[in-house]
Amino acid sequence: MPVLIRWKDDRAEAAEDPFTAVADEDPIPRGDVIISLQRFQAEGQRLLAEGRKVGVRIEPNEAVEDLARDLPRLSVVALAFPKYQQGQGYSSARILRERFGFGGEVRAVGDVLREQARFMVRCGVDAFEPADGSSPEDWTHVVNRYRHVYQRAADDLAPAYEERQAS
Amino acid sequence: MYRYDAIDREMLADRTAEFREQCGRRLAGELTEDQFKRIRLMNGLYLQLHAYMLRIAIPYGALTGVQLRKLAFIARTYDKGYGHFTTRTNLQLHWIKLKDAPDILDHLAEVGMHAIQTSGNDIRNITADPHAGATADEADDPRIWAEALRQWSTFHPEFSFLPRKFKIAVTASPADRAATKVYDIGLRLHRNPDGELGFEVLVGGGLGRTPYLGPTIRAHLPARHLLSYLQAIMRVYNRHGRRDNLWKARIKVLVASLQAEGFAREVEEEWEKTDKAAVDLPDTELARIRAAFAPRGFETLPATSAAFEAAKADPAFARFARHNVKPHKIPGYAIVDISLKKPGETPGDCSAEQMELIAELGERYSMDEVRVSYEQNLILPHVKLDDVAAVWKALHGAELATPNRGLITDIIACPGLDYCSLANARAIPIAQAIARKFEDPALAEQIGELGIKISGCINACGHHHVGAIGILGVDKKGEEFYQVTLGGSAEAEASLGQILGPALPAARVPTAVDQLVEVYLRERLGGERFLDTFRRVGLAPFKEAVYAGAH
Amino acid sequence: MKALTANRLLDGEAVFLSEGRWVERFADADLFEDDAAALEAEAHAKTQLTVVVDPYLIDVIPSDAGYAPLSFRERVRALGPTNKPEHGKKTEGGEGIEALLHATGAARSKGRVELIRRK
Repeated sequence: MPVLIRWKDDRAEAAEDPFTAVADEDPIPRGDVIISLQRFQAEGQRLLAEGRKVGVRIEPNEAVEDLARDLPRLSVVALAFPKYQQGQGYSSARILRERFGFGGEVRAVGDVLREQARFMVRCGVDAFEPADGSSPEDWTHVVNRYRHVYQRAADDLAPAYEERQAS
Repeated sequence: MYRYDAIDREMLADRTAEFREQCGRRLAGELTEDQFKRIRLMNGLYLQLHAYMLRIAIPYGALTGVQLRKLAFIARTYDKGYGHFTTRTNLQLHWIKLKDAPDILDHLAEVGMHAIQTSGNDIRNITADPHAGATADEADDPRIWAEALRQWSTFHPEFSFLPRKFKIAVTASPADRAATKVYDIGLRLHRNPDGELGFEVLVGGGLGRTPYLGPTIRAHLPARHLLSYLQAIMRVYNRHGRRDNLWKARIKVLVASLQAEGFAREVEEEWEKTDKAAVDLPDTELARIRAAFAPRGFETLPATSAAFEAAKADPAFARFARHNVKPHKIPGYAIVDISLKKPGETPGDCSAEQMELIAELGERYSMDEVRVSYEQNLILPHVKLDDVAAVWKALHGAELATPNRGLITDIIACPGLDYCSLANARAIPIAQAIARKFEDPALAEQIGELGIKISGCINACGHHHVGAIGILGVDKKGEEFYQVTLGGSAEAEASLGQILGPALPAARVPTAVDQLVEVYLRERLGGERFLDTFRRVGLAPFKEAVYAGAH
Repeated sequence: MKALTANRLLDGEAVFLSEGRWVERFADADLFEDDAAALEAEAHAKTQLTVVVDPYLIDVIPSDAGYAPLSFRERVRALGPTNKPEHGKKTEGGEGIEALLHATGAARSKGRVELIRRK
């Protein structure tokens, strides 16, 4: 089971991952699962009706808008970053949080590196499967390194222009 | 001029601390080169042929004396005593050691400078009209908006891993001195018939392997909505831009594939859904930035200066005044161009001593402002006409008074194969050879306005597509050849150059330029520039002159 | 004939493998007649994570004045930038530098093509 890092209350912590990520060619095991969008569209209703928790993995070329109707019943949206350069997931995360108000877990999977951690957290990602062996301590360190931000995002940090107004 | 406040400074301090730690991990072997490369590239640190290269951002090309002095100090202490100003108005240092890079960033941060986002697939340094705040023909000061964009784009959480690099230029003048038609986003600030300030938004221009002039996707965007609208553009690009092919990853390819109307529709749809108030800057912040650029300290002077006119008795000064002195919006002031194009020198190079002199001149004569233009020259934007002769004299003593702005020897050239690991051929020695051929200032003046632009590879850092004469270095079986294009322009009526014929060996290029100039001088009517004559007579006579003997 | 080159991690200097050490002068570089030996040296260099960056093999040819890198690009690396006589390795002068300065003949080297793809 890969180490899962959760971001909560301004710090990272190690967590057990109760979900099984299921590849399309594998049978669905028991328990809580994360499946592809395609599989969710075929089998999601049945799985949810069984009372288990379901997460959906969104590939970089897939639109989170396709999940809009189902979001209230989803526990996890896992955004795939097959390579760290594939940055579509940053937009997907913000749309999930800011446009659809998704309150479940947004998880980053794939080539997830500590250099991206702060950007991901700011876009609303709150669970990570780091690919570089980073510890929760590393994650907390890099995400909290900067004292200010210049723009509003999916987190609750006040941008510089608001800090300036307040002072 | 915008000065960094405590927040801006803490942002830089946090960045330099981060980079120092990352360098430490690399030197200790905790990071592989592949892992470190993407980190150093987010800080403008490249590895080139002979050393590391550090690209320092000069937002909207604006420098103070203190900043320029610091650049001189860094060039002298950590490099070989010079720097290279680029077509992106950045400064490149070509002989940097990795172990010094964190110290250099600390020095830069002391004066509110950095190398943030001068590389990587992110929003790069924002450029603007170098005559901002000095030219009479601008609708507003574009630096206000460029600074707003600088802050918004810095460490943008959503747009730091784009399909490819992303460049934004801002102008507020109908005379485009920021090349907005060849940028990923070009912003043209103007007032509509109702007097409201807004941006014409051009998207998808660019040079490189497939050059495009950017189409307008919105004729008038109310200025206050700049950031939310740009977020919409960036989001459409981030989600739909191609990532499967490096050569098709720039936004220009997405815009071309959807057509301007289709792309505009996507952007408008996204923008409709955007919570604009959450993204656009509040009026208070805009007012704060605006105040930083408010004109101050200008004196009430007569429109003409007896001292300036009298100094023209010296023909050398008169020539400088004709080519390197431009009208200013305030009576009695002038914009003074400092040419970094002395024939025989490397275009854009400036020694530490020259930087220090220019810093001093800027402080003493130009309200502590120095600008960098994409043509790789420097500018003193606010010089009293009464002082121009003194400035000229000082520049002259430092080989900085070459009276060639816009002339045939004012050549743009990228570093090319002499430094750059991407280059296929050298650019600088070609520029040097051409400039020497036309170094007689009277000859250059007789030829008139003629922009030669040279790139050492198809990435087109030397803007060859938009040179009246463009020269592109190519590699033919390990040898340097040069493809010549004619008729390009990055100005208001922008155009892409047309290929003259088969690529020429290096030694033939200066002669070919000579032949092109001869045709122009023979064909030109009245006050036509090279570009005008070319547009009227077409490629044929030029082609004939260069290739006639080749058959 | 091949030589092994890289950039030194600490300062980015172009360096060449010479009897197990990295040296700055091309003239001192080991020349590999045997491709297998060259590949082995390259593979080992790639493990020297804290010493050099991106080691790669270049083609070397005998020219009028001595051995020289085949590609023009590698000659620029071995000599320094051509626009500034006062900068780079060429300022050291000597026989090896003279040989490189006057080497003629060029063709696309495999090493070069790989380098461009890699960037």
